[in-house]
Amino acid sequence: MSHHDPVCIVGIGETPPVRRSDKNLRQLVIDASIEAIADAGLSPSDIDGIVTDSVIMPNSVPHEYVAAQLGIDRTFDAALSYGGAGIVCAPMLAEMAIRAGRAKNVLCYFGVDWGSIPAGPYGFHDLYPAKTAYEKPFGFSGQPSYFALWARRYMHEYGLKEEDLAMIAVNQRKNALLTGRSQARSELTLEDYMNSRVISDPLRVPDCCLISDGAGAFVMTSAERAKDLRKPPVNVLGVGFAMETMTGDDIFTQKPDLMHIPGAAEAGRQACERSGISLDDVDFAEIYDCFTISCLMQIEDIGFCKKGEAADFLRSKGTTVDGGFPVNTHGGLLSYSYRLGVEHVVEAVRQLRGEAGANQVKNARIGLVGGLSMPDYGVAILGR
Amino acid sequence: MMKGEEITMINSLDLPSLLPEFLPFWESVGRSRLSFPRCTECGEFHWYPMVRCPHCQSSAVEWSDVEPEGELYSYTKVCHPFGDKLKEKVPYFVALVTFAGAPGIRLVTNLVEVDEDKLRIGMPVKAVFSGADGENASIAFRPLVGS
Ligand SMILES: [Zn+2]
Repeated sequence: MSHHDPVCIVGIGETPPVRRSDKNLRQLVIDASIEAIADAGLSPSDIDGIVTDSVIMPNSVPHEYVAAQLGIDRTFDAALSYGGAGIVCAPMLAEMAIRAGRAKNVLCYFGVDWGSIPAGPYGFHDLYPAKTAYEKPFGFSGQPSYFALWARRYMHEYGLKEEDLAMIAVNQRKNALLTGRSQARSELTLEDYMNSRVISDPLRVPDCCLISDGAGAFVMTSAERAKDLRKPPVNVLGVGFAMETMTGDDIFTQKPDLMHIPGAAEAGRQACERSGISLDDVDFAEIYDCFTISCLMQIEDIGFCKKGEAADFLRSKGTTVDGGFPVNTHGGLLSYSYRLGVEHVVEAVRQLRGEAGANQVKNARIGLVGGLSMPDYGVAILGR
Repeated sequence: MMKGEEITMINSLDLPSLLPEFLPFWESVGRSRLSFPRCTECGEFHWYPMVRCPHCQSSAVEWSDVEPEGELYSYTKVCHPFGDKLKEKVPYFVALVTFAGAPGIRLVTNLVEVDEDKLRIGMPVKAVFSGADGENASIAFRPLVGS
């Protein structure tokens, strides 16, 4: 393949968005993987590489299990970061393998059963020893409380209002309901938001992502092989990966500047440089919206607008699928499902194929996907 | 420092489960003191404790007492119980407090004796210690009198 030929996403799959599935996590990952491989028009034996995040999947549905179940005789196997940044940067590792001739067709997958297991996403943070020593004793243990401290400080520094956070939640719910399959099924108005239950103030129920069971997967190959496959290829134009040199223990409270996510700025810069795409060219964005406040901050840090100005920027543009800057076109982690961003990659591919249906962004040619897993950040710019 | 009403931690401390480099903080709290790890090579504080100074990688890290008065950096009223044990504890206040004597550190703590309407970022707060040693050591902060 020529150095300039892009590497492509040629198959996507995901299990239905639900709080609790009657299938276990292994079944969910296998279902999504089989769907993605079939969507590409390939059979499992065509796959020779596997990429996931490096923390959650290796400890729950490891590569060799998936390989054995599907009959994947692999010559390449890799994992990076964890959760959101991991799966958004999976195309970077797949691209390296395909360009190096180490693999022809690479399966990337991710899934969680946090909707079913007792401690859900809160239990995941038990792996950080300093949290046990210095946070849990104070009852500081749920992710909403972490981001509530950020939101309160952001309100103090930049004059953010509750209505601004509500706007993000309300618009994403509109996008979600258009899909017809989102986990959140009811309408959400500004009034509903203002009357909703406070979780950790100022954050309310609609500011917090859903909790879900489910998996997603995608298949990557070279542009040359993509020509013969079933679906129009979506090109991986550029991927960036960056972070702060902090541990997962201290990143939520001790980062030198609590109002900036430097990994997002640097990963965005890398992705733009590699793709030759300017942020002005981006038609829609799928941003890691674990909370309304973190979604808003990432939009600033990636560089779509200046720090402190995201609320005005998003309000003036419009973030629903018919707006000037559609954000989280499937409703995101807030309203579609919470599978830590694999659904963001799958959705971006759907949009760029023109397959989204009622929530299709018109003339979507370039999409940006942002994945956060503090302190890491990944940005993938995809196009057709 | 202050020995006011008995305060207890929201969740009990399980000292034996903690890494050894995490213990000196709680030993200090048991003596009604606030202390943080500081590098004697470069002079910088860091938090949370690491085996070497993350600024210069020196292992010459010592614990240094800090005046237990600080400034409210941010706060939240936790209303949702994250776990069954917290059902009887909500609502409670979690805060980040900064200290003039320990630049760069933000302590996660609880706020007590709070008049919610008067809380504001930047207000001075003072430590309240109770419990003697070990598992019963506890620390929280309250708004400084007169502020
Ligand atoms: Zn040092």
